[in-house]
Amino acid sequence: MNRLDYFVLIATILAIPLYGLWRTRGSASLGQYLKGDASIQWATIGLSVLATQAGPITFLSMPGQAYESGIGFIQNYFGQPLALIVVCAVFVPIYQRLKVYTAYQYLGERFDRKTQLLGAFLFLVQRGIAAGITIYAPAIVLSAMVGWRLNLTIWLAGGLVIIYTVAGGTKIVSITQRYQMIVILVGMAIAFAVAVYRLSPDLSFESALSVAGKMGKLEAVNFSFDPHKRYTFWSGLIGGFFLALSYFGADQSQVQRYLAGGSLKESRLGLLFNAAVKVPMQFFILLLGAIVFMFYQFEKPPVYFNQPAYERALENGYAPQLAALQTQFDEVFTQKRALVRALSNVSSDERGVAMHKLRELDAQTRDLRDRTKAVVAQAGVDPKSKESDYVFITFILQQMPHGIVGLLIAVILCATMSATAATLNALGSTTAIDFYRPLIRPTASDHHYVVAAKALTAAWGLVAIGIASFASLVENLIEAGNILGSIFYGSILGLFLAAFFIRRVTGSAVFFAALVAQALVFVLFATTNIGYLWYNFIGCAAVLIIATLLQKAVFRGTEASSGV
Amino acid sequence: MNRSDYKADARSWLKAYGLALSLFTVEVVLLYLFTVRFS
Repeated sequence: MNRLDYFVLIATILAIPLYGLWRTRGSASLGQYLKGDASIQWATIGLSVLATQAGPITFLSMPGQAYESGIGFIQNYFGQPLALIVVCAVFVPIYQRLKVYTAYQYLGERFDRKTQLLGAFLFLVQRGIAAGITIYAPAIVLSAMVGWRLNLTIWLAGGLVIIYTVAGGTKIVSITQRYQMIVILVGMAIAFAVAVYRLSPDLSFESALSVAGKMGKLEAVNFSFDPHKRYTFWSGLIGGFFLALSYFGADQSQVQRYLAGGSLKESRLGLLFNAAVKVPMQFFILLLGAIVFMFYQFEKPPVYFNQPAYERALENGYAPQLAALQTQFDEVFTQKRALVRALSNVSSDERGVAMHKLRELDAQTRDLRDRTKAVVAQAGVDPKSKESDYVFITFILQQMPHGIVGLLIAVILCATMSATAATLNALGSTTAIDFYRPLIRPTASDHHYVVAAKALTAAWGLVAIGIASFASLVENLIEAGNILGSIFYGSILGLFLAAFFIRRVTGSAVFFAALVAQALVFVLFATTNIGYLWYNFIGCAAVLIIATLLQKAVFRGTEASSGV
Repeated sequence: MNRSDYKADARSWLKAYGLALSLFTVEVVLLYLFTVRFS
């Protein structure tokens, strides 16, 4: 990175929060602080919802995921448009009618206080940890690759977000997310264009896609019924539907985004915008990863993308083993590049044989990378995140022109700040409205609750930075966030669906059903290896079934609410 | 909002949901064709 990159980076990440602070200057009532004001329109809501979900992991890890395993991850989003339609039709009208600040207030009105607190508690646990991962994930990669100190990176992103989120509440989160998302979309479009432009002239773009497809990188849809396959059409449609329904319907970090709209119409249009654009947007981000893969068929990639970890392993006395692997890797790469270059000249009969040979060489490359990874681990270097998370940042730093490098680092930090701001805003609001107000100070002034919400938002920010400072990830960054969500979302969604659709069920039946369902999901997670998206379905179904059984067997005769 | 306004509003939202669903179906079909073409 040079001075131009730093200028673009600093100007981008500071200008947006400063503009937001200027737009939201002055004091706000509790309603304005927690729900924005009626002037927020559907386009801002739509971009805000998109930015909240995307986060840094989407832009940092997803191209690497496609580089490594292909674009099949796109199927995880297939349930989302359907879920958003259900949220528009069922959830949003109820929240708007009841004029709630948090989704869990609805549980309190429909059932009882303990069910409201359980829903809010599950949300706080899950989102509190997720906020730490959101800050940690890009910080660990950027600190390694750009050379910044890890704690400095964590405090830079986290500290700035705390300042503006505490100051401006929901309105500043919506305003800043709108502009941060525009920067992100423009930056990713430029990255896509540069990556296509940098592809070798030896193959046309279509031929490059064809080769990537034959090497297993472009299987977007897979109709397999195997429950152990992580990404299939069915797991994406069914598991993804329940994950998205829970996330958009019952996760306060999203509910707060669309309740910021002045009217039911603005909220619904903002969500339908997401239903339309999410799948294409994710497709292009994954396709970018596949294009980076094709780029590295002509340009020699590092044998191990996490170069700082690799260099530490060299210093630790593992140079001979790593040099031997590097030599083999170079030989295989040379053969592979010659074969890819020759593909455009071979006849259709020879093409099949050539592709078979190419897949064999690619398998050898993967094997050599795995063996290198094993040596790096043996050298006592713990990279703390999956190697594929370093693919896209390596491509940015080594292949993009100056200025664009700064913009793309800004994209990653903008994504971090926008997702973290929404999360902190929701964590502070939920703690203030669902715990502090009813349990500690039920009859204070509006101003008192605004101050409390600000203090709690700041406190959650410090918790997130604390988690980020001590976190070490066990799997790919995308997976960590989604797995954590899937473990808790099923039970939370079950609470809401029971409230909406099972008229006779009471708070106690649902409360105990949710506890049992959550325990069941924990046990399944610890003892089986089923695809994590299924936990959303299992947790939700368990709450609905157990609540119905408990109502009939144990709580029969207790009075059920008629529903709100 | 009176009853007829409410019905008209509900109908227009149903059309919007139908449109979103159709768009999603087209997106999945295009992704499937992309898979078939390049895999």
